[in-house]
Amino acid sequence: MTEVRNPFADPLRFERRVPECAIVIFGAAGDLAKRKLLPALYRLAYDRRLPASFAIVGNSRTPMSDEDYRERMREAVKQFSEDGDFDEELWKRFAANLHYVAGDVKDPQLYLSLKEKVTATGQANILFYLSTQPSYYTVIVDGIGHSHMAAAPDGAWRRLIVEKPFGHDLGSAKELNSRIHAVFREEDTYRIDHYLGKETVQNILALRFGNGIFEPLWNRRYINHVQITAAESIGVEGRGGYYQEAGALRDMIQNHLLQVMATVAMEPSAVFEPDAVRDERAKLLRSIKIMRPEEVDQYAVAGQYKGFRQEPGVNPDAQTDTYAAGTFFVDNWRWAGVPFFIRSGKKLPKRVTDIAIQFNQAPLALFGKAAGAGDGEQKARPNLLILRIQPEEGISLLFLSKEPGSGMRLRPVSMDFNYGTSFGERSPSAYETLLVDAMVGDATLYTRQDMVEASWTVIQPILENWNNRRFDFPNYDAGTWGPAEADTMIAKLSRQWRNS
Amino acid sequence: MGTATTIQPERILKDLQQLWAQMAVDQADAGGVLRACAMTLVVVAENAADAERVRQTVGVLMHNHPSRAVILHPGGSGAELDARIFAECWKPFGKTQQICSEGIEITAGQSGFSEVAKFLVPLRVPDLPVVLWCRGAAALEPGPLEPLFPLADKIIFDSSQVTDADSALQFLRRLRGHGRRVADLHWTRLTGWREVLAHLFDDQALQPAEVKGAQVKFGGSSVTTCARYFAAWIRTALPAARVTIESAEAPRGLHSVKLSTSSDSLTITLGSDHCVEVLGCGRHYRSMLPSSSEEALMQEELGILGPDPVYERALSA
Repeated sequence: MTEVRNPFADPLRFERRVPECAIVIFGAAGDLAKRKLLPALYRLAYDRRLPASFAIVGNSRTPMSDEDYRERMREAVKQFSEDGDFDEELWKRFAANLHYVAGDVKDPQLYLSLKEKVTATGQANILFYLSTQPSYYTVIVDGIGHSHMAAAPDGAWRRLIVEKPFGHDLGSAKELNSRIHAVFREEDTYRIDHYLGKETVQNILALRFGNGIFEPLWNRRYINHVQITAAESIGVEGRGGYYQEAGALRDMIQNHLLQVMATVAMEPSAVFEPDAVRDERAKLLRSIKIMRPEEVDQYAVAGQYKGFRQEPGVNPDAQTDTYAAGTFFVDNWRWAGVPFFIRSGKKLPKRVTDIAIQFNQAPLALFGKAAGAGDGEQKARPNLLILRIQPEEGISLLFLSKEPGSGMRLRPVSMDFNYGTSFGERSPSAYETLLVDAMVGDATLYTRQDMVEASWTVIQPILENWNNRRFDFPNYDAGTWGPAEADTMIAKLSRQWRNS
Repeated sequence: MGTATTIQPERILKDLQQLWAQMAVDQADAGGVLRACAMTLVVVAENAADAERVRQTVGVLMHNHPSRAVILHPGGSGAELDARIFAECWKPFGKTQQICSEGIEITAGQSGFSEVAKFLVPLRVPDLPVVLWCRGAAALEPGPLEPLFPLADKIIFDSSQVTDADSALQFLRRLRGHGRRVADLHWTRLTGWREVLAHLFDDQALQPAEVKGAQVKFGGSSVTTCARYFAAWIRTALPAARVTIESAEAPRGLHSVKLSTSSDSLTITLGSDHCVEVLGCGRHYRSMLPSSSEEALMQEELGILGPDPVYERALSA
């Protein structure tokens, strides 16, 4: 079908138009739907971003009527909406588009019922959302395929959003991709990584490629190393059963943090279009040096906090990594020799996700001790560019400044940009951004098959090593920055973690 | 907070510096104050009462577009110029630190108004854009504000109250022709209407090639700039369609837009509760228009500091 350009378009002033569609959510009574998806969809309705005609069809095993489901979701939206008052009138209009079909995803009859329900809504476009346990993904995709729900009439579309994890290792990721592709084309498959929907992660691209001053410095000549930290102060919070199978390496580093690293280190794309941007991210992921088996102990550290094995649902002998850290190198002209230190863990001192880009020190310690160094040190402090992803999205640049008064005493100061204060406008949540993107068919912030497989390839040697050994766990106390081995790992390369 | 001073740009800037230093001391326990500035916003108010309204509006705008605000208003008949400085502060939800933007209010006697441009030059924040907001219908006529125009990267007017729409549009076209970037809040008020119409084409309720004619109806005794704009916008988008403007028995402003194909027609009509009703071509629904408060309109305009090709085409058509 030839797409006719809308001569009335005014992208400067109009919001992107979300086409009329039905969203079919599998796992619609689950935590993700309650905490993130429905609040995000409600917020889009609040902001007048949803079309006049749309439908949401939820599925889970729990028997309930449309009305029951609406009532449950009403409570969830009230509880989990991040901001804004709950508008009863708006909810009534929104809830009129909410429908529910109970059924087991393994039962072929479910898909016929779903098809019937979607047909009754009159929507031609369908967005399927897999928000279930990962083990059901292939069952659901097969069910959609067998019921012919994936076949779109002329001019309509079918899209599939898949939540992480995309497999549990390289082999299972390939298998999952192959099963999905039997029903959906790759361009209709949207693997969601909500980190990429966060404003600051998107802002990395704006910072790097929208400004002239950073990109010339963005290379091995000026950057000493990069630290990417995703720390949580909480433990597994009742998700022990799931988490003990996943661990920090699979749950955070393989997907979110390697994608963040790819965004920080990728080359500029020729145009800002989905595949051009994703090509560059994929290229970077493929350029990450794969650890040889004998290098794993040197470049990767696993940890487990004291008390994890006593969490409900956790095996008392669990070998799960609640902390993982790795040193990665990128084998390309821009980054050769620059270490990227990535760490993620639970029960760390605070909740913070940030990227710290440490620049090389000034070549000459002109100001000696005055340059903010401690006694006996002659080195100047290096400049740091910190991209904060959460809790407060923003960017800081640390540099030295002269203290007021006589003499030449230098002190580090921070130049801060804070999203919340510089732009009074509310930032959309990652799920709002990503849901709209999927509905309008913009896959820029979604992960492609080759990106998933490339990141599993990076992680695979570490997984194989860790799966074949027994750790002396637990090895760190709750409220500390992880096991001492992580400090040793980074110290061997003459660097240290920013534990602030 | 504010202090009166005789106008001397260097003195004003020094007073501002002292104001910041004092606020930093006053708020030291709460983490100091954060100064935010993205532009210089110069507002020419119609009179002292209007200046008070402007100050309130600017206070709201600062949250999204932190700026150094310079509010000018006429006062007295002589050549005297008086200035006072102020700060607008707010505390983001859940935060202890205040964010503040600064402002300067200048009162100019009628004969002193021509001198204002000279004083504004040093009062602009270096390296940031300057937006000039000229309030009132009189601003859309040649007059004493013209010396200010070259200082601004964007000049915002509001033609809603003009009685001669064609002269006002001619004035804007002339400024545009001289390379000035202009905006009109009466065009901004059309965004909601235009979005509703554009969505009909997104949803393929209509195909551009099918539309043979468009009828724009306005209320009030004389044609308004918004009717002219809307018709021009349709004309630039659908050059083959016949576009007419007609009056309707309705309150002043845009009343309805009807698009006709050879076999059908679709009408968007202003309804109650700030809604428009869409009827025809198999559609019948109501759509809420966005807020048209002055703050909301200015937020939209301050968000566009570069070229605005759709407006510029409509203005030129």
